[in-house]
Amino acid sequence: MSVMDMVVVGVILLVISLAVWKIVRDKKRGVKCSGCPDSGKCDCH
Amino acid sequence: MKIALTGNPNSGKTTLFNSITGKIEHVGNWPGVTVEKKEGPVKSSLLPKGQSVTVVDLPGAYSMSPYTSEESITRDFVMDESPDVIVNIVDATNISRSLFFTTQLLELGIPVVVALNKSDLNSKKGTIIDSALLSEVLNCPVVDTIATDSRNSGLGDLAEAAVSLKLKKAKQPAPAFSKGIDPNNKEEAEELDKKRYDFVSSVVKRVERRTVSSSSQTGQDKLDRIVAHKWLGLPIFAAVIWVVFSISQSWVGPWLADILVGWIDGFYGLVEGVIGEGTNPVISSLLLDGIIGGVGAVVGFLPLIMVLFFMLALLEDSGYMARVALLMDRYFKKIGLSGKSIIPMIVGTGCAIPGIMATRTIKSERQRRTTAMLTPFMPCGAKLPIIALFAGVFFNDNAWVGTSMYFLAIALIIVSGLVIKMITGDNSVSYFIMELPEYRFPSFKRAAISMMSRAKAFIIKAGTIILVCNALVQLLQTFTWTGQVVPEGNPGASILAAIASPLAWIFIPLGFGIWQFAAAAITGFIAKENVVGTLAVTFSVTNFIDVEELALVADGSQVLSVFGIGSVAALSYLIFNLFTPPCFAAIGSMNSEMESRKWLWGAIGFQLGTGYVMAFLVYQLGTLFTQGTLGSGFVGGLIASALFVGVIVLQISKTRKYDVQRNLKAA
Repeated sequence: MSVMDMVVVGVILLVISLAVWKIVRDKKRGVKCSGCPDSGKCDCH
Repeated sequence: MKIALTGNPNSGKTTLFNSITGKIEHVGNWPGVTVEKKEGPVKSSLLPKGQSVTVVDLPGAYSMSPYTSEESITRDFVMDESPDVIVNIVDATNISRSLFFTTQLLELGIPVVVALNKSDLNSKKGTIIDSALLSEVLNCPVVDTIATDSRNSGLGDLAEAAVSLKLKKAKQPAPAFSKGIDPNNKEEAEELDKKRYDFVSSVVKRVERRTVSSSSQTGQDKLDRIVAHKWLGLPIFAAVIWVVFSISQSWVGPWLADILVGWIDGFYGLVEGVIGEGTNPVISSLLLDGIIGGVGAVVGFLPLIMVLFFMLALLEDSGYMARVALLMDRYFKKIGLSGKSIIPMIVGTGCAIPGIMATRTIKSERQRRTTAMLTPFMPCGAKLPIIALFAGVFFNDNAWVGTSMYFLAIALIIVSGLVIKMITGDNSVSYFIMELPEYRFPSFKRAAISMMSRAKAFIIKAGTIILVCNALVQLLQTFTWTGQVVPEGNPGASILAAIASPLAWIFIPLGFGIWQFAAAAITGFIAKENVVGTLAVTFSVTNFIDVEELALVADGSQVLSVFGIGSVAALSYLIFNLFTPPCFAAIGSMNSEMESRKWLWGAIGFQLGTGYVMAFLVYQLGTLFTQGTLGSGFVGGLIASALFVGVIVLQISKTRKYDVQRNLKAA
């Protein structure tokens, strides 16, 4: 594996990790669907 | 310090809430937009120095005796959480209706400030309200406000009046007519309500001066007679939606999309140049085709969606969509629903989740559940890229595709509503009473805010769920089960193909029994945008909107040849994705609102069956008309469709038998 391969793998892992982190954080906050401005409130009653 | 914003539906509470907090909660020019409480801090610029105030926006209510669940939220909050001050938003254009609730609030003992909102509309109509006299008779401060005008809104005066009341620690005196009456005694409570109406009438006579009588016909009334007309209303609505789709999907949207896709292409080329040809092709393909290409293919449709939401927000703000609700009531009443059900469906054109949540305003349990079941049939924002893609590639970007999908959704909702009414055997009729908001010139600022809110949500979704899914799809189609890289020219050997192929045969009668389409339909249940992203990754198309290569507007022939299906199968695939169950998050919302596992699973089964049968009919009949022969897999599809219809008929006959037995017992 070349240095460039490792750099690209690192970038991919970073991007996917950030995306997963955001999804998990949203779930913990009660947002069912990342990005949706309303879905955090759909279990309120 | 905590302030509660209360008032009748569509009095402008959320607009005022947004203005004093700087938030961008969804507003609409019709009743029932807010179905839950929202909190936010008041801007410090509106408050006296050193004060900090939290404001709570509550759903609209006509009285303290709740009729719907969201009215209960308002009553419970005011009664149980005892806010320091109640700001009662009164629609200045209709104080006779609003003051009934005001008098009830005045009896609670909590300090009340009346915000006489929409006072600008009164000025235009020549109606004058004597605020000082109103304040005197109600025994509380009254402030003129214009929540939609950030400069001359009166919001500073309103905040100041509320803080001042809190600092005085004064108890709100109850109106004289209610003193000594026990509201828990039914007879006395009825007597109290009569006195309340008499009081409100006398107050209105004293404080309001109208130059235009409320009984005389205005220009607005004349316009209503046309747009909500029995026969003209629907064609006008169809024309309006067609114009919206023409502008968003055929004109302005693609023009902007070309610019955006140019940037995405540039970024793709830049990354490709940086990583060079020496990089492992599996790794570079994961980054370029899976992540950048897959996400880029979805994001490329963002301008189309933004323009569509902007135009829908303008329509909503103008007051036209409230007329659509009135128009649809005529048809919905026949299927056991009411015009109240159309509001969640219109909200659902943005996203099914708030649409399903909006069903709370419906009191009848059966109607509420039915509406929650049928709302996801309306094409939401996430489904728009699918519509735009297939309209662009297979139908020369014709605006009728999007328009017809909306009207097909409405037709499906009406037919499905009738079927559900027959299954449940509930023949109760409910009446739809809605106060029509006045027409007004729509605010471009509010429409832009609504559009940007949706755009932000779309980008976050693309950068999270869509990105992860596309990366996973790319990996699954790169490797075989033995961990080897899929040999070039044999994509069918991949893990993804192995998973999706067994499902693809189910879709043969629908015209798209190809594993890539099956895989895209499955990932669509995670988020509907995934359909486009997965098609891009599995067919190795880096973007769908490119004037140079794969033009969406003028020539989608290259994409068409890559997909390997005809226009009839494409329409069938589009219909399948639009009318099968929504994404998992929306299903979660259905679960919350239905509060019944039986209804939830019934709804999912019904949606799945409806989407399948519709796609089957479109493909088979379309093939028959265009090629003179039935499509492949007709017999299998017919059996599956017959099974679905059979289950429905069985359920209806069970209900009828039960009804007959019940009637016999009663006799």
